[in-house]
Amino acid sequence: MNRLVSRALWAGTLTGVGLCAAATLAHLAGQGEVAARLARLGVLALFVTPPLRLAVTAGAFWREGSRRHATAAFVVLLLLLGAAATAAFGTQASERALAPAVRERTP
Amino acid sequence: MTSAALAAFGAAAGLLGALLGIGGGILIVPALSELLGVPFRHAVAASLVVIIASSSASSAAYVDRGAANIRVGVVLELATVAGSLLGSAVAGVAPVRVLKILFAAVALYAATMLWVRRHAGSDSAEAGAEAVHGWLPGLSASAVAGAISGLLGVGGGLFKMPAMTLAMGMPFKVAAATSNFMIGVTAAAGAYVYFARGELDPQLAAPLVVGVFAGSLLGSTLLPRLPARRLQGAFAVILVFLGGRMAWLAALGGS
Repeated sequence: MNRLVSRALWAGTLTGVGLCAAATLAHLAGQGEVAARLARLGVLALFVTPPLRLAVTAGAFWREGSRRHATAAFVVLLLLLGAAATAAFGTQASERALAPAVRERTP
Repeated sequence: MTSAALAAFGAAAGLLGALLGIGGGILIVPALSELLGVPFRHAVAASLVVIIASSSASSAAYVDRGAANIRVGVVLELATVAGSLLGSAVAGVAPVRVLKILFAAVALYAATMLWVRRHAGSDSAEAGAEAVHGWLPGLSASAVAGAISGLLGVGGGLFKMPAMTLAMGMPFKVAAATSNFMIGVTAAAGAYVYFARGELDPQLAAPLVVGVFAGSLLGSTLLPRLPARRLQGAFAVILVFLGGRMAWLAALGGS
């Protein structure tokens, strides 16, 4: 199990840090729009890492027959996914709310 | 501030964090908000993203070595995540002045812990060998640590560690690795809430993440060659200064 959890953590972290590094380099090269998009992707990859780790942990505990620990990991995963869904919908709602103001200012 | 300067600042924070055995948040939040003029909640949000990256990397190494007690970690995470969601929600409505005074208190507590830890002994127990008990104080301390993480953008390890070692009977190194294992998930819960409120700027967080990651790698390489205990004492003094300054300015009415 440890190897599996460790790999999930490394995969998410290295993807996130790699994208953040690319965003920093793009910003330094004057590619503002590309940098912004890469930074968003980097943060997204880091956001996905903890739920990925929890899913792997819950699955591993379940396969080991440790149902209590699998349930604990699954509940934490649900809490995180609930917060992430709220964040995603909240952001969309605030973007929709801001959109008319942005359009008014755009020639 | 340019990306290069933010990355360099992140590297310094990551280096110090690795040398001193603390998370980057306690450095990043006051430096961003007090020295660079970033709004406090934006500084907290950026710090939480940095914590996800640094905690995930270090806990990957700990888990691979079998140093963290994953079974204890997933149970305590129930409390840290609930605390973090609550703390980050409260941070959205609490006055910034109050948050800053609270942060100053946490910084002073961290300074005290660093000062005391200079003379602490160490152990080499492996995860799983210990009989864990005292779940109630462990879960309570974890909830408090999670709430502080969500409120102030710090890892909260300093609040869990006393309960994990003293009340739950975990060896220091196992407790530290297990605490680290939980911090990424706890920080993510808080970061989602800040993101939903539009207080997370990925272009502020990205260079900091790169810097802290590089700085932590360098710090863990340099650790055996540097007088870490003397550094802990010096850093405790810096934290007292940063925390004291933040409390003083907040008390005077600045935000």
